[in-house]
Amino acid sequence: MAEVKTREFVSASDSAMKDASLRRALRQVGGGFNEARLEAIEEVSWETWEEWREEARRTKIHALENLDYYLELLHDRVTAAGGHVHFARDASQANSIVAEIARSRNVKIATKSKSMVSEELDLNQSLEANGVEVYETDLGEYIIQLAGETPSHLVAPALHKTKEQVSELFHQELGVPLTDDIEEMARVARRVLREKFLSADLGISGANFLVAETGTLVIITNEGNGRLCTSAPRIHIGITGMEKVIPSLQDLAVFLRLLPRSATGQRLTSYVSMVTGPRRNDDEDGPEEFHLVLVDNGRSRLLADPDLREALYCIRCGACLNICPVYGKIGGHAYGWVYPGPIGAIVSPALVGLKEAKDLPHASSLCGACREVCPIRINIPRMLLHLRHRLAESPLETENATTTGERQAAQAYSWLMSNPAALSAAAKVGRLVQKPFVSGGKVSKRVPLPLVSKWTGGRDLPALPRQTFREMWAQGLESVAELRE
Amino acid sequence: MVEKQNLTSLGVPKDDFLDHVRRSLGRTHPVVPPPLHLPLTENLADLEGRAAAARERLEETRGELADRFEGTARARNWNVFRTSSAEESIGYITQLAGRLGISRAARADQPVFGELGVDSALRNTGVELFVAAHDESTSGPRVRDRIIESGLGITGADYAVAETGSVVVVPRQGLSRLVSLVPPVHLAIVRPKDLVESIDDVFLFRRLEYLRNGGDMGSYLNFITGPSRTADIEMKLVVGVHGPREVHLVLLA
Ligand code: SF4
Repeated sequence: MAEVKTREFVSASDSAMKDASLRRALRQVGGGFNEARLEAIEEVSWETWEEWREEARRTKIHALENLDYYLELLHDRVTAAGGHVHFARDASQANSIVAEIARSRNVKIATKSKSMVSEELDLNQSLEANGVEVYETDLGEYIIQLAGETPSHLVAPALHKTKEQVSELFHQELGVPLTDDIEEMARVARRVLREKFLSADLGISGANFLVAETGTLVIITNEGNGRLCTSAPRIHIGITGMEKVIPSLQDLAVFLRLLPRSATGQRLTSYVSMVTGPRRNDDEDGPEEFHLVLVDNGRSRLLADPDLREALYCIRCGACLNICPVYGKIGGHAYGWVYPGPIGAIVSPALVGLKEAKDLPHASSLCGACREVCPIRINIPRMLLHLRHRLAESPLETENATTTGERQAAQAYSWLMSNPAALSAAAKVGRLVQKPFVSGGKVSKRVPLPLVSKWTGGRDLPALPRQTFREMWAQGLESVAELRE
Repeated sequence: MVEKQNLTSLGVPKDDFLDHVRRSLGRTHPVVPPPLHLPLTENLADLEGRAAAARERLEETRGELADRFEGTARARNWNVFRTSSAEESIGYITQLAGRLGISRAARADQPVFGELGVDSALRNTGVELFVAAHDESTSGPRVRDRIIESGLGITGADYAVAETGSVVVVPRQGLSRLVSLVPPVHLAIVRPKDLVESIDDVFLFRRLEYLRNGGDMGSYLNFITGPSRTADIEMKLVVGVHGPREVHLVLLA
């Protein structure tokens, strides 16, 4: 499984905010993708858009509610079409399945189209350890593979890189001259990867959707690398999360309308490729073998949890990232694992462990924008609150992240709040204690108390007022009337 | 030759995996869900009825459909040449080959080419035309090499979707998957009878084929909507990454 760095969230977001080129890139996403999305919606009317969202959500609810049934149907139909289906409980099992196919089929070179699940599994590393050369072929993925990095956005994985950085990288790794022409960089990638496509034995793709009724894998791309990966090599492996299944071909249409519009504002991407089994006898070309690897890797935990199940409805469009004020400030890497942004703050804790990723549910101002833009109307803020609640209150040792000190502070707080006399005494003491540290209505950042200085380090702590509301109330509200004048 | 190792089911046995999913859903036994939109096992007669009605609707609105398709296709960066004259359409193709300065082109072997006579016209201009026809001598690696060498790939369309400006291709003999993908320029020829209104129409007709063929979808169904593109570097649009940079439509309507 991919390395988990969710514990470093605070320091990682801190350095992300100081990265000027990242901030410039993030401003572009926020504006660019989201404006394009709005335009695409207005073109079809908001009314239609809401109908589509409703239909898609209904389909996802139904498909997940009956996931066992649809997985079985999918399995049967893929098999009937001449393909093979493999089920993987976790990342290491998924990796061994792919390695086993590669080994027994004597695979030397594999080309890959974009797949977040393979990032989650760290599949490339596993294949390389088994002696297979792996090439990412989506331009953004190729860039970050060369750089030895991970994606920072669901749709635009190399978003955090400037063209100068890409040019330098290509110069270093591929020996091509430096350039500031983006088209030239794309041409370089085309040339290098074209050769890989044609010599690859294995093509690996993810899946945006799986159609149970017909046993069909659907991938949605713009570059054409997905089509090449699934057409040119002699073996095709599709690898994806088990939640991607939808019942029928008729159900697919609405998702094809929602996903590109939500992701990039496109009415449809350049390519929608639907693959059902390997090539047939009459086909001119295409892979001789088709394998589908369906991965659980923690998803059944989300499925079993009525409070979090809807996180599995996500179609990875990235719209919630593009609108999120927190993502917009810190970018994708700070989240510390494969899935960034608001939806990542729910999915990552579920897959890597809540305590391991305890800062992520707090990485949100709960402004609700993510839910507004989500094509499946996933209630992200509700789930974030739910996770915060669990972190604070869960009886499970594996989930409760409060320290003894915090728990005592919370207990003291609730006692104070229910004892008016004690509260007013505490306020008076507080005013006295803060006196030397207050200037301009704010508490200084150099308070010699660790708890307070941690708080004031990143924000202003307003000083306690000279008079509390409770005291004004006791004085018979004259002072309030005075304030109004 | 050694028998290939059987790779039917690696990982967790299917029934165990499904059982775990079922338990996660709080069930102990399989249940068949009520149909969501349409029953998955529609009978052929029903589907044929619906498809016939759809065909009638398309027939009546053909002119409008062609207009709408032309508009959406242009918006998706297809170069559209609309004509009802076979001669003009051939002229467009030979001129394109001339402008591109190519010496080799590849075309699929689809019915539309029998109706048009593109081959001799192209060959007369000195272009070496490769027809990816299905016979022993040309299939396999050679087909691929010839397509890779081509500066232009020419195909027909199985459907042309007015809603999205897409050309849809499904597998058939004589249609390499690579003709519309590997050469730097792709040209598709669309006949009036290929036009459909929406993605739903495509799926309706495919489901019908699927049931008619005893449950075989065919190995692929590809929607092609404009040129290959990317915005992966600084969100700047670049066309022609792995697929064609330039795409043309000859709309015979
Ligand atoms: S949660 Fe919704 S908005 Fe966010 S990526 Fe998933 S589908 Fe898109």
